[in-house]
Amino acid sequence: MKKIVVEGLKYRYPLTAELALNDVSFEIEKGEFIGIIGRNLAGKSTLCQALMGLVPHFYKGAYGGSVTVDGLNVAQTEICELARKVGLVFQNPFTQVSGSKMTVYEELAFGLENLGVPRAEMMPRIESAMALLGIERFGKRNPFDLSGGQMQRMAIASVIAMAPDIIVLDEPTSQLDPQGSEEVFQAIQALSRQGMTVIMVEHKMEKIARYSDRVMLLDHGRLVDFDTPERVFSRDDLAQYGIAAPIFARICQGLGIRTPQTGLYPMTLDDAYDQVVNWHE
Amino acid sequence: MKALSLYQDNGTLIHRVDPISKLLYIAAAIFIPVVLTGFTAGLAMLGLSLMLLVLARVLRKVVPLIGFSMLVLISVVIIQGLFYAGNRQVMFALGGVHFYREGLLFSAAICVRVLNILCAFALLVLTTRPSDLIESLVRQGLSPHFGYVLSSVLQIIPQMTGTMETITDAQRSRGMETEGSLMVRLRAFLPLIGPVVMNSLVSTRERSLALEVRAFSSRAQKTFLNEERVSTSNRVIKIVLLAAMAAAVAWRVVS
Amino acid sequence: MNKIEIRNLVFHYTAGEPILNDISLAFDARSTAIIGQNGAGKTTFVKLLKGLLKPVGGDVVINGINTSDATVAALARHIGLVFQNPNDQIFKNKVLDEVMFGPLNIGQSQDEARERADAALAMVGLAGRINDNPYDLSLSERKLISIASIVAMNTEIIIFDEPTIAQDFSGKEHIKAIIRDLVAQGKLVLTIIHDMDFVAETFERTLVFAQGRVLLDGSTREVFAEEEVLRQAHLEPPHVTQLAHRTGLPGTPLTVEEFVREKRAQGAMRPVTP
Repeated sequence: MKKIVVEGLKYRYPLTAELALNDVSFEIEKGEFIGIIGRNLAGKSTLCQALMGLVPHFYKGAYGGSVTVDGLNVAQTEICELARKVGLVFQNPFTQVSGSKMTVYEELAFGLENLGVPRAEMMPRIESAMALLGIERFGKRNPFDLSGGQMQRMAIASVIAMAPDIIVLDEPTSQLDPQGSEEVFQAIQALSRQGMTVIMVEHKMEKIARYSDRVMLLDHGRLVDFDTPERVFSRDDLAQYGIAAPIFARICQGLGIRTPQTGLYPMTLDDAYDQVVNWHE
Repeated sequence: MKALSLYQDNGTLIHRVDPISKLLYIAAAIFIPVVLTGFTAGLAMLGLSLMLLVLARVLRKVVPLIGFSMLVLISVVIIQGLFYAGNRQVMFALGGVHFYREGLLFSAAICVRVLNILCAFALLVLTTRPSDLIESLVRQGLSPHFGYVLSSVLQIIPQMTGTMETITDAQRSRGMETEGSLMVRLRAFLPLIGPVVMNSLVSTRERSLALEVRAFSSRAQKTFLNEERVSTSNRVIKIVLLAAMAAAVAWRVVS
Repeated sequence: MNKIEIRNLVFHYTAGEPILNDISLAFDARSTAIIGQNGAGKTTFVKLLKGLLKPVGGDVVINGINTSDATVAALARHIGLVFQNPNDQIFKNKVLDEVMFGPLNIGQSQDEARERADAALAMVGLAGRINDNPYDLSLSERKLISIASIVAMNTEIIIFDEPTIAQDFSGKEHIKAIIRDLVAQGKLVLTIIHDMDFVAETFERTLVFAQGRVLLDGSTREVFAEEEVLRQAHLEPPHVTQLAHRTGLPGTPLTVEEFVREKRAQGAMRPVTP
């Protein structure tokens, strides 16, 4: 089932000359885990916000083409209506704290109260979101007393508690230490396996390669490629788009190792291990 | 983090009384002495408030508030005692300065009234979480947007002081003196306020995006995580308070 | 002489809740990365180095000056700190003025400040933007302005707080080149960072903080060889090192090139089996 259909999407922010998104078209199936990569200002965040309707509703500006999410035309649907289907986690955790709640537990309830979710349903949803992100022990803390990493987990949990069909995450692990960011990726993967459609912008290519079903490469507002991580990261023109392949792929490239079945470079630690350990010059 | 709130989490019986009842109590504490005039009613209300503050174990927090208002009240007593327009009868003299009975009585009435209001408000502020108070008001029909503004101000202002500290650190790290003479402090103003303004512009926009994502503008009937406290005792409290106010009016009319 | 000496440093905000616990360290000229789990005390440590916080116990001595006896502004001649968020410092309308603010504060003459600002802006690649308004530049360019404004102060010690956050590949390469440039000029460069690959490629020495103590201290290669200890500290070795460890490649390679070289050398030594 097509969960997201984007056709010929063009967008320009008000008071700017260049298109932030230029003729972008793609389709995403339910339950897919999609990674979005590209250099800074390539249009990744703009695309995220276009899936949520913040582009064009919040910013205005010039908009062309169409974005359809779960059958709803985004340009003709209000953000608060889309919020029932799509969740968006931003990069900066501090500005995602609502500021009106005294505890982490209540902070997670904020979105649910706005949606009018019955009280009895709220609590299990909040508790499972907190457990998934590993923040149960902070339930009674003031949201602003959390560290950057903990706040980032809370921001993700706050959106997950709203139980969207689609979750869009814009560099959600920037403040986390290595193991923390691994835990968050695993949590998101668990949701994806339960059928949630995941779209994630991230500069950590090793994680994108390991967790994504497909990778979208953007540059100057255009969609350059949208394919499996192996295919995208085996392109020989990545440098031109300001991207470096995952370290494991670069090692295999240095050694001239390709996966025999596909002729592509291995991307993940496990795949690279299988090939490297048996490698002889 | 220091939230902008005087709330004391003691979990006493008084804490469990719903915020609307406490608001009603403030109304009664102001209304009844005004209607009944004279000292007795005001002193009685003040006594009651103090007793409730003791029950809520927050009396210690009220002392500095009373202490601060005392500074003002003492000056009122002195000024009225000396210069009240209706002053006739000298009550006592201090080093040749005469204090008059009428002025002192008048100022004593003001003192009782001020302390009375202060204690009644303290009862609300010290024993109610600000977010609970605002939530109750939203339930009673206050616009959720206005409610949000009220409660977020309480948290985001302390948050801004945190940002201010970071910015101060960043500029001191670049060799800027922030302490010393007035001139030094004035010179430090722009490098501090510039980033504060830019930061708050940026974060206000980001926060409003984040609020939209969390369905802040939704027109769905809002629900609440915390249960509304509709216990019989809360209803009884409200009825008693309303009845007391009505009785005061009746007493005034009859007598 | 060591540029930084730390003796029995103890710090806490509330007695009984130690944040840093009896740390003794010396920093020589080697570029050093400070890594550790969120909340391990790294940021507090850096604030103590800058004199923004004063020790509860022990001493922090920067270029022979005990931080307890000096103001932050006075220490600023010796030690610079690039904050994580450039928006926390930028307030001038022109890039050049912003970069000259620190140098002028610490007593450089107008001419010297101008010269150092020009050099610093050239180093970060913003020489052509000196008259622009900083807020017309992108966030990653503003990060470069904030780096230049510390570099122009010409301190012997420069600290970076999470320099790679929100940077893309070319941004990271750029910052890596800047750090190497500073090291080549003889500066002591320290950084707090979560990006292990960046540490492996850029820093000579690595300190691992855990629960307010220094868990590991050594050359970056020695530290990243300790996979078990790193995991205990909620960290992981760089990706290159992980693959080397799994495949049994000796020597703890830290970069893609080192891995390929080691692997080829190993392959050449091994008898070829048909």
